[in-house]
Amino acid sequence: MRKIFLTLALVSHFCCFAQNKEVLYNFTSIPQSSLVNPGADVSYKYFFGFPVLSGISANLGSSGFAVYDLFADNGIDFNDKVRNVINKSSKNDKVVTNQQLELFSGGFRIGGKESRSYISFGLYQEFDFFMYVPKDPALLALEGNRNYIGKSFNLGDLTAKAEILSVFHVGFHKKVNDKFVYGGRAKIYSSGANATSTKNSGFIYTGQDTGSPNIYNQIISSNLELRTSGIARFTKDEYEGSIAKDIAHNTFFNGSLGLGLDIGLTYYIKKNLQFTASIIDLGFIRQTKDIETLTYKGTYQYQGANPDFTNQNDPENIFDEFDAAIPRDTLYNKYTTWRPTKLYSSIQYSFGESRSNEDCDCLKRTKTRYKNAAGLQLFAMNAPKEPLTAVTAFYQRNIFEKLDVKATYTFDAFSNKNIGLGISGTFGKVNVYALVNNVLEYKDVSKANSIAFQFGINFVFQDNDD
Amino acid sequence: MKSTFIHRISQIILSAFFLFSCSSDLDFDQVEDFKLEPVFVANLAYFDVPANRLVNNGGNQIAYDARDFDVFRNKFLTDHLKKAAFDVEIENTIERAFAVNILLLSADDSVLETIPYVVPAYNGSANVVKYPTQIFENQRLDLLKQTVKLGFVVIITAGPPLNQNSIGDLKLKSSGTVYLEIE
Repeated sequence: MRKIFLTLALVSHFCCFAQNKEVLYNFTSIPQSSLVNPGADVSYKYFFGFPVLSGISANLGSSGFAVYDLFADNGIDFNDKVRNVINKSSKNDKVVTNQQLELFSGGFRIGGKESRSYISFGLYQEFDFFMYVPKDPALLALEGNRNYIGKSFNLGDLTAKAEILSVFHVGFHKKVNDKFVYGGRAKIYSSGANATSTKNSGFIYTGQDTGSPNIYNQIISSNLELRTSGIARFTKDEYEGSIAKDIAHNTFFNGSLGLGLDIGLTYYIKKNLQFTASIIDLGFIRQTKDIETLTYKGTYQYQGANPDFTNQNDPENIFDEFDAAIPRDTLYNKYTTWRPTKLYSSIQYSFGESRSNEDCDCLKRTKTRYKNAAGLQLFAMNAPKEPLTAVTAFYQRNIFEKLDVKATYTFDAFSNKNIGLGISGTFGKVNVYALVNNVLEYKDVSKANSIAFQFGINFVFQDNDD
Repeated sequence: MKSTFIHRISQIILSAFFLFSCSSDLDFDQVEDFKLEPVFVANLAYFDVPANRLVNNGGNQIAYDARDFDVFRNKFLTDHLKKAAFDVEIENTIERAFAVNILLLSADDSVLETIPYVVPAYNGSANVVKYPTQIFENQRLDLLKQTVKLGFVVIITAGPPLNQNSIGDLKLKSSGTVYLEIE
């Protein structure tokens, strides 16, 4: 019990990432920006990512509370802090995590020097975790029901899902003309471990109602279901091995498979007015490996160990009755999970033409470049109860020929003063980028409700590198 | 070789990243102090017997039943139970006095403890008695943990026997409170 509680508390603190990549989105000097919009206006002759270091990203978000609330070294009893956190959080507070690690990536232009069609590919590992704060069950575990007579503890508060997977992808994007770019990407998902418990309902009720024969009217109505894939064998006593190694192996070589699609576009309404949109991870995974589904479904009303003076041979057993009313069932059915699908869109206005340092642009192929861009971005992601959404205002500036910075201001469920900063520089053929959000919180990260960072190194070759 | 190189690079980048951030003093060892201390209340037992079912044939023990009470079969509960309490309330509308004994019975049906409740006779006015809370701690709690059945004995005090035409009811309601400590 304690372990479960602690694990939940820790997971919610170290892995709370919103999946919005607002700084990376449309930051087109970074090749990885095409991962959040396959139709981004990215161009290169070819590129490849520094293995394992081309894209590392982590996002932590917790809308109700921060690490500081629990672990501050301030003399307040830890148990009181846990109580405070639970009391002040609401059942719609969520803890979201996303971590990605690109193992390899690359891309190249196809069809000669004049062509503006590109193929890209890569493999990355991803971890997703999503949970609503299980307020009622946590309250019941912390305090019991004695002080909550008449309250119905909602079991529907238990909503969580977690997945570790690898994603192999191949994408194509084409700049049709100076106004329009489109792109798409096919993904093969391989899920090493999945746990999903998102369709729970029921309640635990203790009341003192007139008409009930005993002191309390106690009812448990349970409709709980936990579906797992790739996890069951670790829970067996006879399992001897390294869970981390086995999950890693399953993630890359023996996972449940799925398919997904990213699509996106960039459209220049005017030369300096650009619209973009993308849909990322429109896909599913068919969970087939090492499936185990646990259910507790039923209703039980407890009245007590009541004597029946007229019929003394009428054994009645509380546990057996409970087990019969709300049986624990284990099922082995395959199931399908949907990937958290993301939707991005942006409108960008550019201004201040830049003067190129290059000697001459004899072919007049280069388009006008602007030093500044500003605009708005929208983000939405599907989640169990309601979608997560965010609005971002951004300003992007080209400082030197090959050094770009971007600043963002984001409103979302986790924060309304989330300032992000990104920098992308290309030195020779090496592109290095670093993006962070919620910079205001870095003065004390422990009080942050969300933190995200991304960085990576790529080798990018343009035509003039020949 | 390569993996240590990558490892070092990522270490450098990560530490550079965190150098720019600050954090309040945190103490993660606090989780060692974590303790759940929930208090649960639940029904214990109830009965409602009409006087005409308490007809005695000369003896003064007029009703007996034992019920399985196997909540302590649950190891989690016995391991974390720090204290328990019983609250009993009896309403008597029969013009006779009773004694109700609740027996804690072990697996071999031996009596671990007898908890007696004296029930005054009904005399026309409200006759509900809330008895003092029975607290189970230490040795008494250990006895309670061995309990697998609850026995109920109704004893009638001396006087004219009840018959089929006697009126009134003897009603018992009760609840248990368990204090858990989960570390």
